[in-house]
Amino acid sequence: MTERRDDLISKAPSVELDLTLGALDPAGAICEAYENVYRDSRAGFLRVAAVGGTALLGALAVVPSGGSQSANDVDILNYALTLEYLQASFYTEAERIRALRGKSRQAAEVVGAVERAHVQALRSALGSAAVARPTFNFRGVTEDQKRFLKTAVAFEDLAVAAYKAQAPRIDAKPILAVAISIHSVEARHAAWMRRLFGIVPAAEAFDDPLSRPEAARIVASTGFITSSGKTERAGSPRFTG
Amino acid sequence: MHRTSSDTRHSRSELLRRAVLAGGALTAGGVVVGGLPRLASSAPSPAQDIRILNLALLLEYVEAAFYAEAREKGALRGELREFAEVVGGHEQEHLAFLKKTLGANARMAPKIDFGKATTDPDAFVEGALALEDTGVAAYNGQATNLTAGALTAAARIVSVEARHAAWIRSIVGKLPAADATDPSMTEAEALAALRKTGFLR
Repeated sequence: MTERRDDLISKAPSVELDLTLGALDPAGAICEAYENVYRDSRAGFLRVAAVGGTALLGALAVVPSGGSQSANDVDILNYALTLEYLQASFYTEAERIRALRGKSRQAAEVVGAVERAHVQALRSALGSAAVARPTFNFRGVTEDQKRFLKTAVAFEDLAVAAYKAQAPRIDAKPILAVAISIHSVEARHAAWMRRLFGIVPAAEAFDDPLSRPEAARIVASTGFITSSGKTERAGSPRFTG
Repeated sequence: MHRTSSDTRHSRSELLRRAVLAGGALTAGGVVVGGLPRLASSAPSPAQDIRILNLALLLEYVEAAFYAEAREKGALRGELREFAEVVGGHEQEHLAFLKKTLGANARMAPKIDFGKATTDPDAFVEGALALEDTGVAAYNGQATNLTAGALTAAARIVSVEARHAAWIRSIVGKLPAADATDPSMTEAEALAALRKTGFLR
């Protein structure tokens, strides 16, 4: 551990969010028959009961859905939900495939359960306004520990930056309070995954926000989303919690 | 630090009022929702920002001094040493930023005594865990009390504190993040947690 960390600091600046995701190699990846894997993981997706800290998530629903939530807040919550779907599906698939060992496996299990809890809370808060889960193809990155960790670092850093950009734009205080708390949990995840990957957990003194178009561009560049979610009113989701 | 426009402020206070009203029915559905955010009694204002940023400044003073002293004494080894160096640099930057932002409104540096916590590895870890987790909870607890401009700035710091907290937890074999949300502290709770470290004189 100590030797591995010796050049940690010098390595850190080279791992930028864009570079990390941009450096993924979907073309060279094994195109897993993801649907087959995913079909059996619905139970896993629901397994959030053991996660602590979910009480605060209930505050998301303080503003009754369909009633007082502003259109702006609904939009932001659906954006957050999409990012959480991406993360939750990623960790759930990694757990199902069982390619991870030791501390990485433990991290995937713990973080996955938390991301599923975020999904469940956001869906519950949004009610019928919730976007459906997109379909994903992680192109083999969940089958190899190193590629898993690299992708996890990218996802978590992305989530931190995305929540950070949205927090000051949220109208309702209870929603802001929950969002800012999820934001710091995502930052803990980012640090955790970074350390497992062997890079400095906290590279800079200030974390920058990432605008929604920038985040969308990065996510699109991965090719992980194979079909976008529509609102549940507009079409029936393939997988629901 | 830019301020919210008066229109925005008006709509925010209206939303706050509605949220508080909605908060009266928190047990709806028979489920008692615990750990709800405690909302500010007054709407965000530049004056309130100053008070809150001074709380942040106090935390950053203690954190920055803690890691600076640990580095100066040079007793830490391995990843703990690296942690103190990297994190100490960040806290110095946070301190400088807050002092500059607050200008003449910045509070004085507190009087501090770290005892053996900057030389004994176990005591150092205990101190770092307390300071970083308190930092995250204190910043999170004030999010709804800040103006949008101040929140934008604070959000760039709190996630770094969360990274620090996860890092030190990971070094000592604790789960870096076990829960779906991070706890938040009121100003009084944050001050109590800070005093509990025994570092303030």
